[in-house]
Parts: sequence; structure tokens; C-alpha cells
Amino acid sequence: MNKFILIGVAAAALTSARAQDDASKPAASSDVESLRQQVQALTETVKALQQQVKDQQAAIDKTNGTAPASSPNPEGSPVAAATSPSPAASAATHFATEDASVVSSTSNAPAGLPGPGVNANGTATSGSFPTTDTSVVSSAPETISSTGAGASLTQPISIGGGGKNYMNISFDGLFALAGSSARDLDHIEVGDHDPQQRGFNARNIELAFDGAVDPYFEGFANIVFKLNNDNETEVEVEEAFLQTTSLPFNLQLKAGQFFAAFGRINPTHPHTWDFADAPIVHGRLLGPDGLRGVGAQISWIVPVPWYSQLIFGVQNGRGGTGYSFRNPGDDGMFFDRRTTDRELRGLQDFVWIPRWENSVDLSPTQVVLAGVSGAFGSNETGADSRTQIYGADFLYKWKSANAEGGFPFVKWQTEFMYRRFEAGRGMNESFPIAETFHDWGLYSQVLWGFKKGWVAGIRGDYLDKEDSRFTDDFERQSRSRISANLTWYPTEFSKIRLQYNHDFLYENFFLADRDVDSVFLQFEFILGAHGAHKF
Amino acid sequence: MIKKILLILSTILACAFAAQAKLNVIATLPDFGSLAREIGGDKIDIIVLAKATEDPHFVDARPSFVVSLRNADALIDGGAELELGWLPPLLQNARNPKIEVGKPGRIQASQGIRLMNVPTTATRAAGDVHALGNPHFTVDPIIAKAIAQHIAQSFAVLDPPNAAFYDGNYKKFEATINAKLQEWGAAMLPFKDQHVVAYHDSWPYFAHRFGINIDIFLEPKPGIPPSPSHLTEVIAQMKAQHVKAVIVEPYHDRRIAEKVASATGAKVVEFSQFPGGIPGTDTYVKLIDTLISRLVAALK
Repeated sequence: MNKFILIGVAAAALTSARAQDDASKPAASSDVESLRQQVQALTETVKALQQQVKDQQAAIDKTNGTAPASSPNPEGSPVAAATSPSPAASAATHFATEDASVVSSTSNAPAGLPGPGVNANGTATSGSFPTTDTSVVSSAPETISSTGAGASLTQPISIGGGGKNYMNISFDGLFALAGSSARDLDHIEVGDHDPQQRGFNARNIELAFDGAVDPYFEGFANIVFKLNNDNETEVEVEEAFLQTTSLPFNLQLKAGQFFAAFGRINPTHPHTWDFADAPIVHGRLLGPDGLRGVGAQISWIVPVPWYSQLIFGVQNGRGGTGYSFRNPGDDGMFFDRRTTDRELRGLQDFVWIPRWENSVDLSPTQVVLAGVSGAFGSNETGADSRTQIYGADFLYKWKSANAEGGFPFVKWQTEFMYRRFEAGRGMNESFPIAETFHDWGLYSQVLWGFKKGWVAGIRGDYLDKEDSRFTDDFERQSRSRISANLTWYPTEFSKIRLQYNHDFLYENFFLADRDVDSVFLQFEFILGAHGAHKF
Repeated sequence: MIKKILLILSTILACAFAAQAKLNVIATLPDFGSLAREIGGDKIDIIVLAKATEDPHFVDARPSFVVSLRNADALIDGGAELELGWLPPLLQNARNPKIEVGKPGRIQASQGIRLMNVPTTATRAAGDVHALGNPHFTVDPIIAKAIAQHIAQSFAVLDPPNAAFYDGNYKKFEATINAKLQEWGAAMLPFKDQHVVAYHDSWPYFAHRFGINIDIFLEPKPGIPPSPSHLTEVIAQMKAQHVKAVIVEPYHDRRIAEKVASATGAKVVEFSQFPGGIPGTDTYVKLIDTLISRLVAALK
């Protein structure tokens, strides 16, 4: 109560000072100077009174055992906003908007918009255009505290609708209507989130969470639901990891379940892809789900003048998401070998994943990014069989200097991968021979965003799998594909994509050659938090 | 080979020392960059991420920006979600604790600014509406002063030996704006309460300051491209309210604005929120000068 009286007095004093100041404008400059001094004196008084109030309040709070009122507690803001009067109420406006140490103006936009010749209080200013406006700018702070948590200007604006939650939540639904000349579309499409049957497909329905865990970590999670061809729901913990925010020396540590930083496509979620399906080389060498697993990763931004980052990851590499590594395969078979499915024996059984990426701006509108990656570990087809995968990727992007909504642009992306796979003799040496497969492949795609919201794309895929007289696995077939698509993004929260694929499957020792034509109509929606676009 | 390595290392060291000498400031958008130049003068090195001519909602999160942010002593951003689509992944990768929210090196321009048009319900059915309110606020010179002051105070904390220099530059800027406001206000006074059309709702703060109404938009909803049926409505409204000017920004489709203008006898006026977005506007004051003179010429 005491506080309000004191503030009331201060406000009245200030108001009268203002009024005098306004009234005496035409007066001589010496008068103005003396008035200025008066105002200065009054301001000092007000400050002193404020300090008293604060001290008293602090004393009261101490006795009550509560937090001090001067703490930068955001819960204080709604109260201040609620008591903050509209700009039309003149005397009280002075009070509420002049006292920056108490009020961080967080109320809604002013109802009445003062125009020229009218100041914030709605009073005429006799021809002079106002140079302050307390309806848009809260009064100037006296100090900015070095911790950034003291004065009103450094307080985050707290207005309903955003920035109030401890995490961002979003929901993404990705569907496809597929038509194909092949009945076994699940053998033609190599990615687990690609269309897997003729008709409708719901292969990627995703819940995504992210946010600051505490001052030291950020947390991310992507939980994917997908419907299999019998419409049964399957759940994947696609990613769930924490990442450090403030390690020294440009280091960053990541741990949990995450996509390996291998190439361009692998670390990204299917709904961000430019095509409705995974490139063949990605699905066949890294696996239908890509290379991901439980592990840890450290990355370092190399202190050179361009962007250069070294990433080093380690994962268990076990199961279907470690496809070319410790993967027991379907029904315990991989490349026709009975797999060993053993426990980790030592460091050699982890998958080690280094990557080095560099980027430079060729011009203000052109960027290139190039990287090399590797993944090294053991596989389950023999007691000591090893797998090595090497990758190189390249991205070029041009975007207009007058881009609206990110359009127009041209983006060219290529990835090359080579895998050396030692196929052993299986569990208990049950397979007749040991072989080493040298498989390689690449894809190259060009996307042209020709108009706001519209992207046309073409892609070429090639995969060369070493022929084997002993293995009749249908996945060991060399193949290539050409794809073309057209995507419409009504906004960044939805898309509709029409894609045509023509697949060539080449003859090998066990499999005949064939051609397949497929058409996909893909559609997507995103609810919730605004997803940021990584480069 | 060894010589080369030594050369590279010495370059890196030289960069590091140069960085210590001046404050390394990054601004997400050119308007903040321009205000930082007013305040920081030759005591800072400034890098602006977005181009003045491109749509600030959709900027590519280029890897080179990560390098800039990694080396930053201060980051000036809007803090009102305009850069939401591209700044967060950059900051995650930049791993620079000096520019975290809450540190003196993070200057969020919207702090202390009362944002306009805060939606009462957050629904994307209304288009690309920003939950915190309209983020295009720097075009109000009074708000620009507040941001400049905020920048000056933050620079003073980060670089105490030059505190007086920053404060002096702020005072100069404030005095210039106060004087200019009289000029701008007088120029706009004859057109008080006139209606002006804009392509996108980027101008509520400008309109509020200078007493005009920029409340008809070529976009049916923020971020949604103009549709023929909506443009028909706009043309009817423009005729009814005798609208004389259609504002477009450098990244908008000017042809659509031209069509609407020719159907109504209005003029297309190229505006930019950002210094440098249109020719001859390399400083904030020159930008507002240009906007006012262009608008006055169209409304006469």
C-alpha cells in the first residue's frame, strides 16, 4: 500500500513537471534551462523514492521469506501489464511507462494510434512532431546489467503464443499414393520410409521434440510411427539425443540415438528430402533406415577462415539400423550367410564414423559444400569379417539475391559411396566360401525452385553390386533409376509432390533384368513448432 | 610445405588478434546492422547475415554464417521470430556461449518494444502470423532510437573503454532522428489517414508513426501469394478508398503490383525495410528519407 502511495506521488510530481515543461515551450531559453534543472531535480527525487520503495519491499519480502521483488522474475510482467493503463489515460500513463525499473511494457499493441501532431497521451503538441512514443517503446533503461537480467530492456518479451514452453513440439504426417508396374514395390523402393505398396502408404508419421535441457544441454527426439503393408502400426525411436551447448574450443558433444553424420541424406529426416524416396545407394549400402544407432559423437569447428568441421562418431552399429555392420539380417540371414549375432567383443565391433566437411561462399548468392565420410566396423557374416564404407558428397546452391520465400533457387547435390564388405562363411563356417564385395554407387540430383512454392527436380541413381556365383540375395542386383518430380509447397508447413521413377534392374547370375515404372503422389503436413531449415 | 603451414597459422593468429582489437558484431538483418554501424563506428567489425534485398523470413542457414557466429562478440537479432526459420540451427552449430540469450553479447532488438498486431489466437489458418506480434518494427524511427540505445548500452558493457564513444554516437543518432522526425512528420502531415496498399504486412509501425493506414494487402494472408479473386477485392477496395500507392519490397513480384496499380490508377512504390534494399539508402536515415520522399511523390 505504502508503495502505491509513493509511486502515486512520484507520478503526480512528474506529470506536473511535464505540464510545466510543455506550457513553457515558447519561453526564453534561460527559463527553459531552469525548468530543465527542476525536472532533473524532480527526477532525482523520484529515483530516490523508487529506491526507498524497493528497499522497503525487499525488507518486507525478507520478513515474509519470499524472493525479492527486484528479481527479474517474468511472473512480474503480467501483473505490470495488467495494471498498465491504455495510452488514452493520461496521468496514469506517465506513471506506468516512465518507470522502467518496474515495468517492462508487455501489454498488447496500443488501441489508439496517435498520428502526427498528437503525442502518446493523445494531446496536441502544437506542430512539433513527437520524438518519443511510450506506446511503442518502454522507457529507456537506466542500465543494462552485465548479466543481462536486470533492466527492463533486457527482459525477454513475454507475450502469449510463443517462447513460453520448455520445448518445441511438432507433428509431421507424410503420406504417399503409389502406382507401379511392379507388384513387389517393397523390393523396388529401397528405403524403409519410401512407399512400400501400391495404393496408399503412411510410412513416416513423426513426433518431434526439442528444447534446452538446462544451461548445458539441448535435447532432441523424433519418434516415428509408420503403418506397415498390413496397416499395423510400428514405432521407431528414430532419434533421441542430447547435445552440449557450451563446450570450449569449438567442440560439441552429442550422445544418444542419432543418425550418423555420413554424407548429406543420411543425417536428415525423410520429410525433408527433395524426393519421395531414398536414393538407391543410400538404401542399399547404409541401409533401408539409414545408418543410425546409439552412440556418441564429437565435432569440432576447425578455426580457419572458411567453414570446416570435423565430426567423429561411434555407434553400436547393431541390428537393422546398422545394416552393413552388426546386422543379424532377416531371419538370421544376410547375403545368404547364417549370421553370428554376437555381443560386442571390443572396440573393433563398434562402427566408427569420421566426417570432414567444408563450405565456402562462391559469391553472395552461391554456396558450395563438400564432405568426405567413412564408416568402419565389423559385420555378422563371419567371426572376423569387416565392413568399410567411404563416401564423398557435394552440394552447390544458388539463390537469387531477391529471393521471396526462399525462391528462386537451383540446388545440385551428389553423393558417391563405396563399400568393401567381407562376407565370411557365416555362423560355424556353414557357408561354402568367404567373399569380399566391392559395391559402389552414386546419385546426383538437381532441384530448381522456379517460382515461390514450386520446385522441379530430376535425379539419376546408379548402384554397382559385385556379382557373386554364390549369393542369390535379390538385394545384390546392380541397378539404376531416373526420377523426375514436381513439388508444390503451399506454405512451409505443407507440400504436395508428384514423382515419376523409371527403374532398370540389371541381370546377374541369379536374377533376370527388368524395368519398372512407378508414380507417387506424396503429401505432407506439419503441425506445431516452426521447423528450422538446416542448410 | 612447412612454410605454407606457418603462413596459414600466422594468418589465423593475426585474425585472432585483429578480432581482439575490435568488437566482432553480427547482425541477422541489415536494419540492425545499420544501427550498429551508427553506434559502433570504426570500433567494431560488423557482418550482416541476410541480404537487404531478400525475404528476411527465408534466409539460407549457410555454413559460412556458422563461422561468423562462432567468432562473434555480439549478435543483434530481432528476437521476435522473424529469423525463426534459419537462426536456431546456426546458433546450435556455432557453439558460442558469448551470444547466448541472456548474455550481454546477445542483443535482441525487440526487447522493450511493444509489438503490434499480436494475434489473440495462434492459428496458421491465418497465414504466416508471428505469435509474438509483427516483427517488422525498425522502420519506426522512434523504435529505431530505442534499438540504437539498446545497442549502445550493450556495446558499452562489452567494451567499457569505448563506452563514452558509443554513448556519444547514440546521442548523435538520437538528435539526428529527433530533428529528422520533424521533417518527416511535416512531409507526411498532408496525407494523414490516407489508405495505402502493401504487398505484405511489413509496415504497421511505419504507418502508425506517420499517421497513414497501410491496411490493405496484395497477399490474402501473410505469406500466401496473391490470388486473382483476392486481387479483384483489393482493386474494388482501392477504388472505393481512392488509394494512390502500392508498396512493394525488392523481393516481391512487382508485376502483380503493377497490374493492380494500372487497374486503379495508383502508383507502385518500391519500399525496403532494410538500408541498402533500394538504391541510395546505405544508412538508416537515408532509408527513411527515401521512403518518405517516394511515398509523398506517389500520394501527391
